[in-house]
Amino acid sequence: MYVLGVETSCDETSVSVVKDGNIVLSNEVLSQIDIHQSYGGVVPEIASREHIKGITYVFDQAIKKANLSYEDIDLIAVTKGPGLIGSLLIGINAAKVISLNYHIPIIGVHHISGHIYANYIEHGMEFPLLALVVSGGHTELVLMKEHFSFEKLGETQDDAVGEAYDKVARILGLGYPGGPAVDKLANQGSDTFDFPRPMIHSDDYHFSFSGLKSHVINKHHNMLQRNEEINVKDFSASFQEAVTDVLVAKTIKAKENYQVKQVIVAGGVAANSGLRKKIKANITDIPVYFPIMDYCTDNAAMIASAGYFKYKKYGKSDDLYINGYSRLDLEREM
Amino acid sequence: MKKSLKRLVIDTATKYMYLSLVVDDKEVDSFYQIGDNDHSVTIMPSLEDLLQKHSVELKDLDEVIVGIGPGSYTGVRIGVTVGKMIAYLNNIPLYKVSSLALMASYSEHEYVLPLIDARRGNAFMAFLKQSHQNIQYIHKDVLMNINDFKEKQDKQYEVVESGKPNIEKILNSDLLEKISDIHELVPNYLQVTEAERNLHK
Ligand SMILES: [Zn+2]
Repeated sequence: MYVLGVETSCDETSVSVVKDGNIVLSNEVLSQIDIHQSYGGVVPEIASREHIKGITYVFDQAIKKANLSYEDIDLIAVTKGPGLIGSLLIGINAAKVISLNYHIPIIGVHHISGHIYANYIEHGMEFPLLALVVSGGHTELVLMKEHFSFEKLGETQDDAVGEAYDKVARILGLGYPGGPAVDKLANQGSDTFDFPRPMIHSDDYHFSFSGLKSHVINKHHNMLQRNEEINVKDFSASFQEAVTDVLVAKTIKAKENYQVKQVIVAGGVAANSGLRKKIKANITDIPVYFPIMDYCTDNAAMIASAGYFKYKKYGKSDDLYINGYSRLDLEREM
Repeated sequence: MKKSLKRLVIDTATKYMYLSLVVDDKEVDSFYQIGDNDHSVTIMPSLEDLLQKHSVELKDLDEVIVGIGPGSYTGVRIGVTVGKMIAYLNNIPLYKVSSLALMASYSEHEYVLPLIDARRGNAFMAFLKQSHQNIQYIHKDVLMNINDFKEKQDKQYEVVESGKPNIEKILNSDLLEKISDIHELVPNYLQVTEAERNLHK
């Protein structure tokens, strides 16, 4: 089954063709990261303007590289949310045109289900499994008892982990996006500050990063005021150690409690080397998988894979009234 | 028998959505309806209805004409996306037209001032002269203070803020512009984003 994936929820315009959920025939990504860098973050109106510039070109590249024509496509899977609404609607409407033009069924997919299925492409899935979803907008632990079933065990009560990274990177003058820069410096420093590990011992699977973020910012501010020299490497390392300690501790707790067969990490922060190392070092009894780097950031291959399993599970598609949503609950995704 | 020329016109640059099926220079059917910020939800079902009524498929179309604004009403991108995709998928010519010119064609007056409000006393406006056969620009699309623009016009005119386009008049005019590379088409925003303005301060 050939699935055409479409993803435009944030600052990447991406189209992909995936066969049977894991054979990626093409995965075209037009990234806007260079454009948003000068603004220190994604500017929604500019993101929409860039999507419309690139949209037909990305489709054309994806179908050509897959060596197929649109008539060969069996299903169109498109991100319907959460994300920037103006950006989502461009991908959704482009996908609808293909659906009507060639009478191909269309299915709307939750962006995070895509991030989770990015792991299926390389590693497959064995249930029950635990997914740690970490990105600029999400921090949550999700239990999957079977394909396309998502039970949220816990989530951040305030900031997403990627958000905290961006904020800390900004005060350290590392620019946007902050995650990779902090990660790189953290590898060269050591945890000398011993920042708090919020909620690490709480009974639930929730997270909180805004207190840690404020603590780090205040510390930085106080040091500047006292004219103390700030070792950016140690500062980054201390922040990263605190964040990953919490993420890994909660993941282990959930893994043990639910007796899962596999742990997967999904979302942009899955690319973080400190998190990768620590989670692999601490979970050795069952496999721990990360998506390959190309599928950590937003891409349409993961949307095609998720759409394939959603369609297989429910056996029905959406109609041309499908809408985009800036907020969307993963658990109600069906 | 000569094959008929089927053209689809799309404009979603204002609160109103306009879809029109034109066969051999005659508008055979159209859809003109106010949307509650939901062009994105309704455009494709409405288009499907319109075409189905006349047993036309997207694949049967010979040309697409799309309104490109001006303005940054979020709807403008919906129509441009749909127009680009149809032209690209079926490898047919794509034409752009000003949404203000489309709006002006509704009027019967000789001189028309179409206007899309842009808040704080400003608007996207143009000034056009027409007969019932033709329509042409006197002032191209601009974004400026409404009173300043009105003062510049010394003819008796009608202000038009909405109205179903008279597409046959537009098709007779020089106001359609063929897009040489479909991938390149973007809306005519006529203004940089606030973020860009602040960056260059
Ligand atoms: Zn994402």
